[in-house]
Amino acid sequence: MSESQPLLLETAERLFAEVNAAAFDAAWAKTSELGLDGLLVSESEGGFEGDWDDAFAVVRRAGAHVLAMPVGEAIVAAHLATGAGFPRDGFATLAGRAVGDIDVKGRFSGRLEASAWGGDARNVLFDTPEGLACAAVADARVERRLNPAGDARDTLIFDGASVRRADSAISVVAAGAFVRIAQIAGALDAALALSIQYANERSQFGKPIGKFQAVQQALALFAEEAAAVNCAGQAAARAMDRGEARFEIAAAKVRANMAAAIGAATAHQVHGAIGFTQEHGLHRLTRRLVSWRSEFGSERFWAEQIGASVCACGAEALWPFLTARGDTA
Amino acid sequence: MAPVQTFSIRPFEPPVDAAAVRAEVRAFLAKHQPKGDAASRCNCWAVGDPDFTKALGRAGYIGMIWPKRYGGHERHPLERYIVLEELLAAGAPVGMHWIADRQGGPLLLRYGSEAQRQQLLPRMAAGELYTCIGMSEPGSGSDLASVRTRGERVSEGWRVNGQKVWTTNAHNADYMIALVRTGEGSQRQEGLTQFLIDMKAPGVVVRPIIDLVGGHDFNEVFLEDVLVADDMRVGEEGAGWKQVTAELSLERSGPERYLSSYALLVEFIRLAGAEPSPALAATIGQLTAELWTLRHMSRSTAAKLAAGEDPALEAAIVKDLGNSFEQNLPRVVQAISDVDLSADSDFARALALLLQVSPSFSLRGGTREILRGIIARGLGLR
Repeated sequence: MSESQPLLLETAERLFAEVNAAAFDAAWAKTSELGLDGLLVSESEGGFEGDWDDAFAVVRRAGAHVLAMPVGEAIVAAHLATGAGFPRDGFATLAGRAVGDIDVKGRFSGRLEASAWGGDARNVLFDTPEGLACAAVADARVERRLNPAGDARDTLIFDGASVRRADSAISVVAAGAFVRIAQIAGALDAALALSIQYANERSQFGKPIGKFQAVQQALALFAEEAAAVNCAGQAAARAMDRGEARFEIAAAKVRANMAAAIGAATAHQVHGAIGFTQEHGLHRLTRRLVSWRSEFGSERFWAEQIGASVCACGAEALWPFLTARGDTA
Repeated sequence: MAPVQTFSIRPFEPPVDAAAVRAEVRAFLAKHQPKGDAASRCNCWAVGDPDFTKALGRAGYIGMIWPKRYGGHERHPLERYIVLEELLAAGAPVGMHWIADRQGGPLLLRYGSEAQRQQLLPRMAAGELYTCIGMSEPGSGSDLASVRTRGERVSEGWRVNGQKVWTTNAHNADYMIALVRTGEGSQRQEGLTQFLIDMKAPGVVVRPIIDLVGGHDFNEVFLEDVLVADDMRVGEEGAGWKQVTAELSLERSGPERYLSSYALLVEFIRLAGAEPSPALAATIGQLTAELWTLRHMSRSTAAKLAAGEDPALEAAIVKDLGNSFEQNLPRVVQAISDVDLSADSDFARALALLLQVSPSFSLRGGTREILRGIIARGLGLR
């Protein structure tokens, strides 16, 4: 955590509260004005020079506010872009999936799918087998797509567009997973708070439903799941600050996905029919939790990678591996 | 709506070289850990071995954080945590002294008299004196405040009558730390006092309770006109409830709450081989992700305890999630393995054992339902 984290959080919180219900253009204009996407960029390059722990804290709050804009994607994309020596002009986003090839002349033909507000971004970052790549959205044909929560997940189609390429310590999918972990952590805590509030207000059988043990036990389990994601996400952020964190991000995304499913279901069960209405705010959280679970890697996607690596190292190596990584914390 | 955060991480920062401490413990284990199969390494904090416990005592791994004048070693609580993690991950038999190290010693340091500390702590730290905890009674399980074992003042001190049950390791323990009702006609949490009861005293009868796999871990303890000197009272008369509940965070968030089944995970990975099927890899990956998360939660809670806080809510969360993980692990392993549970293999024996004994994990040390009630209260429900 950097010294400026409290101030950074306060600034972000004020912004998020202000743009909460705003449409993308207006909300993003305010966010750009603040330069929040430069959170992980050094001061000499015009950023806030925050660390990954700061990024987790800010993106977590973005998740709690369910913003219709790619704050987290822009923060990590700016970090990747400056690290790779790509120019930062306008905001960059992340592609959820890249399908296509780069030819010998360095030109990309293919599709960059599930790019958050890809049609609105200047640049989009994506993974290639050789490393990080960056394409200009101006070179793409844009297919507007929405995830189930109504957030823009555009497909960008390129035909021989020249792209920039570089090595990167972290893949785009891992960087995106980090963003989703933080958002899930924030959204789970927000949905939990709503559920507790509702359980204490809503009366049936002559008392608040939060007095019933069945409801209490369900909410306790919900709190445990939210706690697990918050802890896993913060641990992953600290691992990023120490250096490479592929394992930690994979593990935290698996855990976050598990919790997102349980949390969304429990929040709805506690809210009853009112939580199922357009008018009530709960769905803004739960529909995103459901969507985020599939974005930047499902449980299976990450768990297979962890398991393959654990098995390749052998049974006796797991404990030394876990402790060696944790002890430098 | 105010921002909530259910769990904020506290960095685990022992003031020592953690890797060096681990290397020392691993070297100790290589020399002293009894050879045994995977089943013997499962649930190892319920497995007692007097010789191993004495070796640990000689190496300074019991009473690590206690003052030196009581035979302790004045090391940092997080150093102790690292040592416990290593012992548990290796499946070492730490059951004989576990309760003295985790609860008995700390209780005496906090509430005991100077004479009690001098008399008992050095032998506990040497791994030569064991304690058991006398809380549950036939009519008093989760509802601990209903204990009926009675202590009445007599000229010699106190005369204790009653019965304790599910008393782990009572058959080996030298002393029981018993919760006794001393306030005549007192109700619930009032009028309870803690005593050190000599297990060899006249009137103490220990009867084994054999568990479902044939193991002898817990006991019934009958107390009939047992005379206890007043200098064996622990803390204030009538303060028993407060003293008992103050220790719960220590008991609930330790590494034993996610490492009891670790030996099975190791065998499972070994069986999967270097190149497992994608399904097997995914299962191992998910279990690893959960274990890694729990480890960070437990360590974060340990760091709060070391800083002098009482993270009661976090501790309840760690225990309940840890119990669920440890119970789920054998079930998941069983579901994906084509295993003959009668086979004479390390893997089959460990799996069979945990499938049978893991239901106890969410009973001992506070049931799942009680823990979730505590969490719900912490959330502002009730």
